[in-house]
Amino acid sequence: MKNPLTTASGTSGYAFEYGDFVDLRLLGAFVTKSITLHPRKGNAPPRIIETRAGMLNAIGLANVGLEAFVAEKVPQLREMGLPVFVNVAGTAIDDYCQVARRLNEVDVVRGLELNISCPNVKEGGISFGTDCGQVAGITSAIRAAAPDKVLVVKLSPNVTDIAATAAAAVDAGADALSLVNTFTAMAVDVDRRRPMLSNGNGGLSGPAIRPIAVYMVHRVYSQVARKHNIPIMGMGGIQTARDALEFLIAGATALSVGTALFVDPTAPVKILDGLADYCRRHNLSALREVIGSLQFPEPGKGYKSTYA
Amino acid sequence: MSATTHPRGLFDAQVISNRQICREHFRLVLSVKDFPAAAPGQFVQLGCRDPHAPPDEPDEHEWIDADDPGLRTRSLVAPTPLLRRPFSLAGAEPDPQRPGCTLLEIIHRVVGLGTARLAGLREGDAIDLLGPLGNGFPLPRAGQRAVLVGGGVGIPPMIYLARALGAADVGGVAVCGVTTADLLPLTWADGVAADPQGLPTRCIREFADFGIDAVVASDDGSVGVPGRVTVALQRVLDHLALPAGDVVVYTCGPERMMRAVTEMSQARGLTTWVCMERSMACGMGTCQSCVCRVNDKSSDDGWRYRLVCTDGPVFDGRVLIWD
Repeated sequence: MKNPLTTASGTSGYAFEYGDFVDLRLLGAFVTKSITLHPRKGNAPPRIIETRAGMLNAIGLANVGLEAFVAEKVPQLREMGLPVFVNVAGTAIDDYCQVARRLNEVDVVRGLELNISCPNVKEGGISFGTDCGQVAGITSAIRAAAPDKVLVVKLSPNVTDIAATAAAAVDAGADALSLVNTFTAMAVDVDRRRPMLSNGNGGLSGPAIRPIAVYMVHRVYSQVARKHNIPIMGMGGIQTARDALEFLIAGATALSVGTALFVDPTAPVKILDGLADYCRRHNLSALREVIGSLQFPEPGKGYKSTYA
Repeated sequence: MSATTHPRGLFDAQVISNRQICREHFRLVLSVKDFPAAAPGQFVQLGCRDPHAPPDEPDEHEWIDADDPGLRTRSLVAPTPLLRRPFSLAGAEPDPQRPGCTLLEIIHRVVGLGTARLAGLREGDAIDLLGPLGNGFPLPRAGQRAVLVGGGVGIPPMIYLARALGAADVGGVAVCGVTTADLLPLTWADGVAADPQGLPTRCIREFADFGIDAVVASDDGSVGVPGRVTVALQRVLDHLALPAGDVVVYTCGPERMMRAVTEMSQARGLTTWVCMERSMACGMGTCQSCVCRVNDKSSDDGWRYRLVCTDGPVFDGRVLIWD
């Protein structure tokens, strides 16, 4: 990757949906939306609702399915000239493995991002991502099914200790970790006393989750990733270069922009400019110098009180 | 007419005017440089931030200095709402004052946080928008008549469509439904009243200027024909008394209204173009939230979802499945 900026799965389509708005070739990598073995229609609308400083979604993994993806979308991805990561989802380990085996044969695909943390699918989905035994099982199965691809495991934040599921994924053969997926959440229509989303619950994203995501990235970095030399793709409410720097300093090597793309598809490019400015102002020869550079001063000393 | 083949983009816009035109509706006029060619039925996604709102925190600007990395995406920071709001275009015309600029007309109703912010915009304010988004209405063939059925905030795209019909020299009738008289986001023509029986007249300036007659219906009977817009539509279709192939119906408004309009016009064998509304995050075909159901014989269960933002918002009434 020529720079750390990527698109978060599910927020930038299959390939060139944002082609009119931004030159995607400026990014470091492209992450597709989730692909499942068979086409999925997804959930009934309403599928999204805005909440304060965030949004809830329950799309339900709507996608064209593996074969249509390979036939129709992969040729577009070839045009991109970027490392491509395909997000893989399913409802049973065998589904995941069939998708992984097929994608292992597709040269333009650099890696797979394993979605074991979608909160919006009734069967399977998030359950794979919240139990260490299941995380290990599915990670090692995909590792065997797609031996030629970089394997990124996308962790669910809906756990008591994300370092435990991170360790399970790394021990089972993950090459990298991405975190966090959305937080399971709900919004209520108070007049009709029913959920705002037809699915009932959804996944919370956007700036509302950023401080929790930064914490989780730092926890996974300090407890697991640093000692195994495993890169982290950090995400969760990144809108600005300042937000991106928080993740890098907390231990992320790469960054995904998600919800912000819906508002401004050029946000990752603006963030890249901001990161370059930051390097100049802090006399850094390379941005990687900040990765995991978080310092903990003595209690009460050297902290700046400001509005984050 | 697929807009996905046309250029779209993120544009800065300057507020030319923002006037309240009835109890809850505002007419917002924006000037946008290098805006691509747009068509009736297309929409824009507006960033709904009030530049006059006080900062959320007293020290919000403390950390901002000239080269702060946060500045580049300042527009995304703090001010709620987070997401843009979609609005049909009520007009897109070359800006006579500013070469290379387009005047976009948007009629919005204050219904929540985003539109409340829009209501606070004043002349000279800067906002940004994504557009032009979606497909547009296919125009009638020469010799056909158009019947434009708009309800409430579904009326604005009909204003833009009337302009296009005028340019194409196609005649027609606009049927405008409102709940009550002071929620009509239109201008009365001087000295011409809406006919209470549903006879088309040149009563609405936005339509009369382009040779389109109008009929108004109000749920409470405070203006025009008492009752639902379909009551007025039935009278207009009876009045026109044209062969099915000579009339094309266009509709935008609440979904139940559009369903009733579509069913009525299809019972008469008329082509019907429906401009759908859905809440959406992106408007660019990625978030997959703005789905509606359409017939699809190739699917196992006979239907599929399509995206209102990029497959629509205009759909042939024959393919839509009403929920």
